[in-house]
Amino acid sequence: MSKAGIIRATSFFGILALLPLGVKPQWVINLLIFTLMYAALASSWNLIGGYAGYPSLGHAAFFGFGAYFIGIIFENNVGNGYNPFFILPLVGICAAIISIPIGFIAMKTRKDVFAIVTITLLFMVQTLAYNLRDLTGGAQGKGVAVPPFDPATFGRPYYYVMLILLLTAMSISFYFRRSKIGLSLAAVRADEDKAHGVGIQVTAVKIIAFALSVAIAAMVGGVWGYYEGFIYPQFAVDPLITIGMVLMTFLGGRATLWGPVLGAFILVPAQQYFSYEFGATQFYLLAYAAIFLIIMLVLPRGILPTLTDRIRLRAKIAAEANK
Amino acid sequence: MKLNTSKFLERRSTVAAAVAVTLVSTSLISTLGNAASAATKPLSIGVSLSLTGDFADSGTAAQKGYKLWVSDVNKKGGILGRQVSIKIVNDASSPDQVVTNYTNLITQSKVDIVMGPFSSLLTIPASRVAKRYGYSFIEPAGGGPKVFAEKNPNLFFVQPAATTKGGDVFADYILSLPASSRPKTAAYVKLDDPFAAPLADNIKARFEAAGIKTVYDQTYPSETADMTPVISGVAAKAPDVLVGGTQTADAFAQVKAMIQLKFNPKWLFLSNGASSPLEFPKAIGLKNTEGVFTSSDWYPKSTAPGTAAFIKAYIAMYGGTAALIDSTSAEAYSAGTLLELVAKKTGKIDNATIIKTLHTGSWPTLVGNLSWNAYGEPQGAYLLTQWIGGSLKTVFPTASAQHAPVAPKPAWVG
Amino acid sequence: MHSVVQALILGSLTGGVYALMASGQTLIFGIMKVINLAQGAFVIVASYLTFSLFQMTGLDPFLLIVITTPIMFILGAATQWFLLRPLRPDDAAELSLLVTFAVALGLEGALSIVYKTTLRSIMPGYENHSWTVWGYQVNEVRFYAFLLSIAMLGILYLLLQKTKFGRSVRATVQNPMSAQLLGVNSKAVSAFGFGLGVSTTAAAGAVFGLITPFNPGSHYDLISRLLTIVVLGGMGAIGGSVIAALIMGVGAALVSALSAPIWADFTFFIVLLLVLLLRPRGLFGAKVRGAL
Repeated sequence: MSKAGIIRATSFFGILALLPLGVKPQWVINLLIFTLMYAALASSWNLIGGYAGYPSLGHAAFFGFGAYFIGIIFENNVGNGYNPFFILPLVGICAAIISIPIGFIAMKTRKDVFAIVTITLLFMVQTLAYNLRDLTGGAQGKGVAVPPFDPATFGRPYYYVMLILLLTAMSISFYFRRSKIGLSLAAVRADEDKAHGVGIQVTAVKIIAFALSVAIAAMVGGVWGYYEGFIYPQFAVDPLITIGMVLMTFLGGRATLWGPVLGAFILVPAQQYFSYEFGATQFYLLAYAAIFLIIMLVLPRGILPTLTDRIRLRAKIAAEANK
Repeated sequence: MKLNTSKFLERRSTVAAAVAVTLVSTSLISTLGNAASAATKPLSIGVSLSLTGDFADSGTAAQKGYKLWVSDVNKKGGILGRQVSIKIVNDASSPDQVVTNYTNLITQSKVDIVMGPFSSLLTIPASRVAKRYGYSFIEPAGGGPKVFAEKNPNLFFVQPAATTKGGDVFADYILSLPASSRPKTAAYVKLDDPFAAPLADNIKARFEAAGIKTVYDQTYPSETADMTPVISGVAAKAPDVLVGGTQTADAFAQVKAMIQLKFNPKWLFLSNGASSPLEFPKAIGLKNTEGVFTSSDWYPKSTAPGTAAFIKAYIAMYGGTAALIDSTSAEAYSAGTLLELVAKKTGKIDNATIIKTLHTGSWPTLVGNLSWNAYGEPQGAYLLTQWIGGSLKTVFPTASAQHAPVAPKPAWVG
Repeated sequence: MHSVVQALILGSLTGGVYALMASGQTLIFGIMKVINLAQGAFVIVASYLTFSLFQMTGLDPFLLIVITTPIMFILGAATQWFLLRPLRPDDAAELSLLVTFAVALGLEGALSIVYKTTLRSIMPGYENHSWTVWGYQVNEVRFYAFLLSIAMLGILYLLLQKTKFGRSVRATVQNPMSAQLLGVNSKAVSAFGFGLGVSTTAAAGAVFGLITPFNPGSHYDLISRLLTIVVLGGMGAIGGSVIAALIMGVGAALVSALSAPIWADFTFFIVLLLVLLLRPRGLFGAKVRGAL
């Protein structure tokens, strides 16, 4: 890691780690919990959607899986407190194991068809959440334990767990960029047939990326379910959650380390704040769609890559001029 | 992909630090700014409603009810001499946003009182936030079994009974008929949702106990746009009574499918959707409404005290006619009425007083005389209403009936 | 037995309605490999257009298709020209998913401002009429819709096979580069093709508004069904999508009428996944360029 990179990462996580100690109002912490949640989700989506170029629209299925996992184990007041957080690694492992056959089948298709197959998966999981009533509570929903945390610092545990999940996702992302897996994924993304031809273990790297990606999504879902306190199928397995991850990754920059985080830190506070302050107008959806379109048309590769290119170009021009 | 523009990167980390510092300082300022005295300030109330998204129509109706109540109460001089101000925010039908909104209302805007959201699916997450901070939670929308299973003593549901008991009055009516003229067979067609399906199940339990045979019982998912296959399954069994556990669109789709399949049961009860004086005739045609049973708490022809004044004020504020007023507006208005009544009775208005006071006695509102058990479940009953001559009329219980029940149901007009 | 046949009738008629919507979607995919997530929203726009025109003029909704079709064509062509054409070709496939989703959201937002979210129905008076044939109920509107979709598919077929435009489209589909060298204006072909694909929603929207109550959010329910039809039919094969729509309609009707409606869509998704596994190009997609 370059010196600047270390400074950047340390100051980012350092400030975020210290922040709850100085900032008391719960509304700030609440806002940051949702921001970190989407930053972690977008970073995890980036592993498969960004590096491998497989635009999964089914991640919310695993998010919901995690939420129900925690919800079912910690129903009502069975073993609440910090226990759900300790179960999270198990949630991640289970999600990863389940994802292997799913990824194997789904990734026989490419890009756009993969998107449809994964969104089909999402709807199937949502149907299961509705129909397996004995397990999930069906449409009646599932209540998760009420934690005994002090109201004055209620959000703090959730905040730190989301931060750790973000750190995990970004570490994997960083590792991808430096390792053979990352190179293989980039090759897959550029031209899968060619990658296969030069002897890259295409299937294996794709499945590794997919499994890691959805494992994090599931763990984030688990924390969300515990924080929200009550889980309904249509909210836990919600296409809009997937769309959120995708949009934030695209906004910040696909296949970059900081892009998804940047996207989440711009979109989530903006969305939650606008909805709170100005949401009463019907123009909310229109504005959201407009922002969406502007990003796609003006910054098709995302903020970070576009800015980097501009700066490189300027540096090059300056260098030319100095000659 | 290694980036070599270190100057730019340094600048970026500076920006990140600056953002964090700004976040910290704005929150500090807002904490300090809120430390003013509260006695003479207006009474501030916070509500989050779904003003966009799937539940937007009911959210808008609730907004009208809340705002009308605020305007009425301020005309009367406010509550205990304090003017009432209401902050209505939008949760866009999203569960994340509803948590954010109630957290913000309580810890950022520091409102004195919060009231319930619309839609009902957002009630539980919202009530948990309110309870955490010791706020009372008067809510006009969420009345499913899971809401009361939360055992939240701060919660009060502003409708006559738990939503899932909305069909009990229909069962009462059917079982009040002499055995020879009762239906022999029944079908239950239920939307998979926290309120509609349990409501129909409650009726089914009563009917089966009385010997009415179940010939069809199925749940359908909420995205079912086309009800004809389901209704064709029902029609094949030719039940005497059809009980539809419905919400909105599906109620209309069920009726359309019955007309298309020329299936006309002797009794047709639709829990929700058919109770909307505005939407039901619009969606299926006024003539087809004839003879459909539903249950209501408030409707424009209601005889509850205060209804005439409410309708008059509503039309003065929003225009239109009495027939266009949604019961949700009356429910939201009633939630406000409860605050007024508590203040009048105790001379105080704070969360602890509200919670303590509402747990005893009975409270007259537009939606009936309300009283609750320990966890906010109202102890009254709905009224059985039927579409007769183009409008909803109370037909049961007999004491409050405006018209005798019409059975068997007249044929569909088409 | 009676219920099985009745379900078959209902299912095929509903399948015909979905075929009408999906044919446009398939055409768009076939021509420019764009998965149009806004197709459902365009259907709803057309439903509202028909609803308003019917209220204003009192003309028959089926007659109004003549007016709404060109409007939807222009809307579609404009969407392609202003929002999809500028995308860079190397990631156009991924980005177009998001752009069309944004279009869907924008249309939904605009419709909720104009019409609110109240459910509407187009009610010319015969919308619920059915013929009774040997004891079975055949809904008039769905029957007309079925005929309409066959006619529409016929027109699309002739357009693609017999006209100059059709030849340019087929050339573009097979090899965009050489088509361009041969003087085909592929940009114009794309815009025209997208417009054509969207214009089929005019008829679909009128029918949809007649058979079900709708509001601006109804497009979410349509889009997952349309997507699965397109994939099942074999991305880009119009004939395939018709058969897929019929399979979906009949399958869902049988499951709903004879067993549990809550599993109707699930059953269809399973069929879809099985087809993708055993025949990854869809039922009829063998000849479409690089779909899988």
